[in-house]
Amino acid sequence: MRALPGKASRQPPGPEPVSRAASAQDQRRRILEATADLIAEQGYAETTIEQIVRQARVGYATFYKHYADKEEAFLALLDAAIERTVYEVEEAYDREDGPWPDKVGAGLGALLKAVSEHLNVARAFLLEAATAGPEAAARHEAALKRFAPLLRPGRELNPRADKLPETLEDTLVGGVVWVINQRLIAGEADGLRALLPEALEFLLRPYVGEVAAAREA
Amino acid sequence: MADEELGPLPAGRHGFSREHVSHNQRERLIASLATAVAEKGYRTVTITDITKHARVSRRVFYANFEGKDECFLAAFEVVVEHVHELATEALAGVGEWPEKAVATARAALVFFAEEPDLARLCLVESQAAGPVVAARFHEAVHELVPYLEQGRCQRQAERELPPTTEESTIGALVMLASRKVGAGEAEQLRDLLPEFTEFILAPYLGAERAGEMARLQAA
Repeated sequence: MRALPGKASRQPPGPEPVSRAASAQDQRRRILEATADLIAEQGYAETTIEQIVRQARVGYATFYKHYADKEEAFLALLDAAIERTVYEVEEAYDREDGPWPDKVGAGLGALLKAVSEHLNVARAFLLEAATAGPEAAARHEAALKRFAPLLRPGRELNPRADKLPETLEDTLVGGVVWVINQRLIAGEADGLRALLPEALEFLLRPYVGEVAAAREA
Repeated sequence: MADEELGPLPAGRHGFSREHVSHNQRERLIASLATAVAEKGYRTVTITDITKHARVSRRVFYANFEGKDECFLAAFEVVVEHVHELATEALAGVGEWPEKAVATARAALVFFAEEPDLARLCLVESQAAGPVVAARFHEAVHELVPYLEQGRCQRQAERELPPTTEESTIGALVMLASRKVGAGEAEQLRDLLPEFTEFILAPYLGAERAGEMARLQAA
């Protein structure tokens, strides 16, 4: 269906007519993209709704139709990023048919890939979530906990499994996230994927010992 | 400097030089910031909260610091410096490197357990205080890497450990500790010593010996 000639200038030209639902989705996507870019660039505190609507090329009314305030937009951004990343990591982990260390390698590879491909979202999540109030900080914390179940099966490979601390998985995830943070802060995001072997060895060592961990990595 | 700016220090011949008084005011402001941040969180703390606790005027605050961030960083540096002193002291003590490393971890955990306000400031609020402070926090944690690297000469294996081993280990432990402080359990930080011991020593001594030493640390 083609729009009437007089209306054509109001809609961006495209092969598909834009339905109302699709256009609302597109607005949200643009708003969240702008939110991520601005927050990654200048921090959560400095980012204003005015800047977001300008960069997203939407009106104030459109922004407020979707989100009550800046925090709500940021939380929506975090939720979407967390769901996407956890899905990609779990999917890579499940798809790998090999033994558990290979599965961890696949999941970790997917995590580093997701961070590298969405640097601004990663910056917003890893570096700014803690600054944006208790809700965002709680989401950050809960998101990191979702990787623990992927590591836990490693306990079966350790003869001293009963002596491993309860928090081991959270601590290991914390170590990997820390190194990713360091690279983002130092502006060395190019090297993120190259971290895979070292980070994998770090994750596997407490379960299978250094020799096997280094071999797998 | 007018007398009123000296705040509640005893008036008259108190024997402190002007330099000492202003140094003292700076320290009081730093201590007040830590208290105010513990009460309200860094984001919501105002300069007035800080000056009220310190019982000095805003003018004195601005004579010492450009703003909240600078005062926070000064407080942060005081704590970081103290942690380095604890580490230096522990590493100069008796015993081999593994015992010294454990002593360092113990000293740091006990210090933060006894100073929960400073623990919160240093380990939780610093991550929430915006990009400048967060970057300094990461840098300060990175400064602890050389203490761990000393463990490398304890290794029996030929193979070199990956370069990010220490960075990952320290990061993991700092996040473990900050989670505990964030949950309002700073006073129980000492309970983490067995986990800290195992994590710190395992890459250098192997899991078995590290585990043995960790069990010795259980309170």
